[in-house]
Amino acid sequence: MNGTAKRRSDQVLGGAMIAMLALVLAFLVTPLLVTCLLAFDARSFLGPLPPPALSLRWFEKLVSLDYVATGLATSLKIAVLTTVIDVLVGTAAAVALDRGSFRGRGLLMAAFLSPLIVPAVVIGFALLLFLSRIGIVDGFTRLLCGHVVITLPYVVRTVLASLTGRDRRLTEAALVLGATESQAFWTITLPLIRSGMVTGAVFAFAVSLDDVAVSMFLTDPTTYTLPVALVSNMRASFDLTIAAAAVLLMAVSALLILVLERFVGFDRLLGQGLFRS
Amino acid sequence: MSAVTAIPLRKPASAVPALGRTTLLLLAPGLLLLFVIFALPLLGLALESLKQYVPGRVGSATDAPLTLENYRELATPSFAGVLYETFKLSAAAALTGLLAAFPLAYCIVRRFSPRQRAACIGLLVMLVLLSMLVRTYALELAFGSVGIARPLLLALGISPTSRWYIETLVGAGLLHAIVPICTLTLLGTIQNIDPRLCDAAQSLGAPAWKAHLGITVPLALPGLVSAFLIAMTFAISAFVIPMVLGKGRVLFLSNTIYTRFSDVANYPSGAAVSIVMLVISLLALSLVSLVRPRKGAGS
Amino acid sequence: MNNAVEFHGISRRFGGVTAVDDVSFSIAAGETVALLGPSGCGKTTILRVIAGFERPDAGTVSIGGRNVTALKPYERNVGLLFQHYALFPHMTVAENIAYGLRHRGADKREIPDRVEAMLALVRLQGFGARRPHQLSGGQQQRVALARALATRPSLILLDEPLSALDAKLRQELRAELKQVLAAVNSTAMVVTHDQEEAMSLGERVFLMQSGRIVQVGTPSDVYGRPDTRFAADFMGRTNWIEAQVTRRETGFARATSRSGLSLMVPDCSSDAIDICVRPENIVLSAADAADPDGMANSAKGRILNVALLGATRQILVEMPGGQQLLVMQANRVGDGLDPGKAVRIGFPVAACITMPASNRAAPNASI
Repeated sequence: MNGTAKRRSDQVLGGAMIAMLALVLAFLVTPLLVTCLLAFDARSFLGPLPPPALSLRWFEKLVSLDYVATGLATSLKIAVLTTVIDVLVGTAAAVALDRGSFRGRGLLMAAFLSPLIVPAVVIGFALLLFLSRIGIVDGFTRLLCGHVVITLPYVVRTVLASLTGRDRRLTEAALVLGATESQAFWTITLPLIRSGMVTGAVFAFAVSLDDVAVSMFLTDPTTYTLPVALVSNMRASFDLTIAAAAVLLMAVSALLILVLERFVGFDRLLGQGLFRS
Repeated sequence: MSAVTAIPLRKPASAVPALGRTTLLLLAPGLLLLFVIFALPLLGLALESLKQYVPGRVGSATDAPLTLENYRELATPSFAGVLYETFKLSAAAALTGLLAAFPLAYCIVRRFSPRQRAACIGLLVMLVLLSMLVRTYALELAFGSVGIARPLLLALGISPTSRWYIETLVGAGLLHAIVPICTLTLLGTIQNIDPRLCDAAQSLGAPAWKAHLGITVPLALPGLVSAFLIAMTFAISAFVIPMVLGKGRVLFLSNTIYTRFSDVANYPSGAAVSIVMLVISLLALSLVSLVRPRKGAGS
Repeated sequence: MNNAVEFHGISRRFGGVTAVDDVSFSIAAGETVALLGPSGCGKTTILRVIAGFERPDAGTVSIGGRNVTALKPYERNVGLLFQHYALFPHMTVAENIAYGLRHRGADKREIPDRVEAMLALVRLQGFGARRPHQLSGGQQQRVALARALATRPSLILLDEPLSALDAKLRQELRAELKQVLAAVNSTAMVVTHDQEEAMSLGERVFLMQSGRIVQVGTPSDVYGRPDTRFAADFMGRTNWIEAQVTRRETGFARATSRSGLSLMVPDCSSDAIDICVRPENIVLSAADAADPDGMANSAKGRILNVALLGATRQILVEMPGGQQLLVMQANRVGDGLDPGKAVRIGFPVAACITMPASNRAAPNASI
């Protein structure tokens, strides 16, 4: 293969790769843009793009729906409570798992991360059977249990990653400067693992807010989350109200992204153990 | 200095100490939670899967006789069909996702400017955080049977209600979720490959694409394999995507479990399917840990 | 008691490995000692035992006359300068320096003044509001020093204090570190694997090997009169000549090396000896010159190669019989010391350090 041929092969393949990347990005983004656009469509039916006129009719319809308001309230309550429980329990567990080596540490770590590898549907079904058997039929409690199980690993994992990344000598420096173990924890360790806690909390919140697979099993007739309500409705009719809901949910994702960027930064996010292969 | 010390040595401390009190106290709430609302329910599920199903009854009786009937019953063509569908679409989506994610991750790490990189990573993280529901709905709206691409599809002679198109749509849904996850997972893998190796190959006369095929891809192989299996396990346990995009015509294992719960209330059978699914996921994950290169405990 | 630190019979094991084996020493108040040894010799464990991070399996540690063996790090007043400084990244320079003062219960109103004084001591006035990552390596090291000294510790430990800096900066900061330590008149222990650092900072050097202190002395003692082959090798480059004593006279002995050189060495008890000659003690002169004055040992050789190090050169000379000698010579213009050239080497009796050949089997020294 001579130089010119090599150069040509590189150019062709380089061009093909750029085209493919563009296609991938388009595939990822286009449906979302279409949804955003159609959510503001003034037509009462699903027509071809672009919409001839824009309006907020779907949003108005959305907020007028009872199931949306009820679902959203439940979803937010559950997500906030779940996140708080996760951060408290998960951070404590991660700190304990990080405190030097002790017998069975690897096993415990695996135990704390194991809900991630069990399919959500299986967790939901198992919890339903178990909670019914012990007599817990209240939808809110059941949903909270389910959401804590599936989100706790995120906080344990990110806090553990931020603990591993920190310099153990900083704690020793604090001790030698006169701080007790608990003072060193509050003044040195905690501020340094804050980014891990924020990342874990954001992911826990997002997963909780989005869950369908577990929640489907655990709702009761009056307590249901927004995604569960939307899914049932989506199957019932194809209506652009859901596009409006999707736009709102996208806005929540964007908001969470801003929190991450502000408190953690994307560069450090990759070091938080969520995307380690 | 004498070799024999005058002061008797204490018994040498064991290299790995037992749990300290503070450590135990910190672990207790988490362990309790895991035990009560995770471990016990899974045990109960395993037990339920061995109970005899009485039609018309919601859940099994406490004193129902133990049986393997629920598992034996799964050896039917229809269940095998669901299993096959789940695996076929999951593997296809995982492979395609990897094929798209690898060059994307490579460009983000090696080609993009820091600003482009930050923007791209931000977009990908947002796509990971994006609600599955939004994802499926958006795909349905764009490419679904009544979506805006319908005229285009009809013009191309594709029936948006044909089985293969619906399968493709479910695959696309999985792909939409898999590409961001895989790309972010692969960023680290590619970052760890010394770019000078590729430069060296090119300085020795290989064209860029050959250099990548011969150097970058093999070095990234462990990362690629584990990204594939992560994608695969995600896809196998997908629930919303096949439910919404499959419209009841494409069913995954997850959907079968839900159907047995909601439509026929056959809890023991649903439990058996769950256990089968759990075992499959565990097998896939033990594969990940087998393939993953052994690294130190550090970051 | 005027000893600031007493170490008595300290041992520490990790699993089956004995990191520190029955070590005893004392440090006088106001003294600076250097704990020197190769990596893995146990010096870091000693530092951690003094700081209170490790409990010894046996022995006692006293600081300022108080038995602190069982005390936690925060119950002792020991300053520690960490190898990579361990500055708190989320605090400003001033907050870093104030950290120890706040946790040691200093009067709140006095803290700002004390912080300013410490900044002045390390010549970093005006840097109080910066964050550690905004400082250069040398500045970070000075902040760490200020933080360690702020609480007026009864002992300051310096863990490889200069190893994180590049060679040029290291020399500058070494002098400055010495000045600051003298200014606060504190008792200090420098833990290092770098013999230059140990000799330039320590008034006494404790040389460690495999968990034990093998030699204690002033820097010039340990360098000039090493007790063992390990000590000689670890403290600097040496030439080793294996020889047999042939005749003893008053004050000196005559010996013949394995390669056939006749040598005059200081009197010694054993017959089979190893002679250590430091490269800087060997003088080169023209091959046909008369025996240089005062050089009891003199012979002809041939230059094998010359390595230029700037102000000095390392010249490898091969003697008849195959013995090779490394010579350190100032890099003077036009002295014609080139490879292949015949030269005369010379060194005085006093330049020969003899030790019994039985010392040879000493544990390997990894340098």
